[in-house]
Amino acid sequence: MSEVACVSGVDLLMDYLEGVLPASTVAALEGHVAGCDRCQAFVASYRATPGIFRDATEASLPAALQSSLMARLRERRG
Amino acid sequence: MVVPTPEPSDEDLAALAAAGDDHAFEAIVRRYQGRVFRLAGRLTSETDAPDVLQDTFLQVHKHLPSFRGESRFSTWLYRIVTNASLMHRRARARRPAESLDAFLPAFDGAGTHCGTPAELRVVSQAEELIDRQVLAGKARDGLASLPDLYRDAFVLRDLEEMPTADVAEVLGIEPGAVRQRVHRARLMLRGYLQEFIGGQS
Repeated sequence: MSEVACVSGVDLLMDYLEGVLPASTVAALEGHVAGCDRCQAFVASYRATPGIFRDATEASLPAALQSSLMARLRERRG
Repeated sequence: MVVPTPEPSDEDLAALAAAGDDHAFEAIVRRYQGRVFRLAGRLTSETDAPDVLQDTFLQVHKHLPSFRGESRFSTWLYRIVTNASLMHRRARARRPAESLDAFLPAFDGAGTHCGTPAELRVVSQAEELIDRQVLAGKARDGLASLPDLYRDAFVLRDLEEMPTADVAEVLGIEPGAVRQRVHRARLMLRGYLQEFIGGQS
């Protein structure tokens, strides 16, 4: 694989980060990104996205719900 | 001297619970209730998470005798949570979700990103630019608008941080399909935040 444009680079991003791309494709992709400030910006934001959603949806089970769950399960199991 | 007893494995507890041991069943509930609650909230909403939590463990209790140990117990359990969550999402008469297709990245005729580097980078600076609570609320809205197909894969892979192979097993699809769905979700959600943060900062 020789030519990478931003658009084809974006298509490869997940597989690149998961380490499932062939070495020649990795080299072509890294070559493009090294010389493209748009792609560098895009990759940074792509990598930041999961963490933002992870933090936004952190939750711990309230103690009251723990006890009511156990009580309901006992009741329903009979 | 008290010799610490090793914690029984999930599979040991599952076998005991399947044979009718209520203590073993309750040990499973205690071990997993926090994770199931968080996952249920991510797959449905804060409002529905308590019901999904309860449904999940009722299902677990009912179906434990047929758990054969062909997959790990946690994989089997997450499959139940995923299915229970889907039922809840479908049962809830939702307003039609905002389509996230418009937030996919855009390119010019030469295949170059349309945005400027600053516009494209803005999501990675989200926490410096936007109030944390506001950002979290927007993120939860975005997640709720994600099509079912992408949401399950994204939640399991990126929010629960499960390995792709395990997500594939939970969803009953190939690892390549998991990567494709997670990628699509990341692209949509990234663009969704970019638009929002770009308009706010």
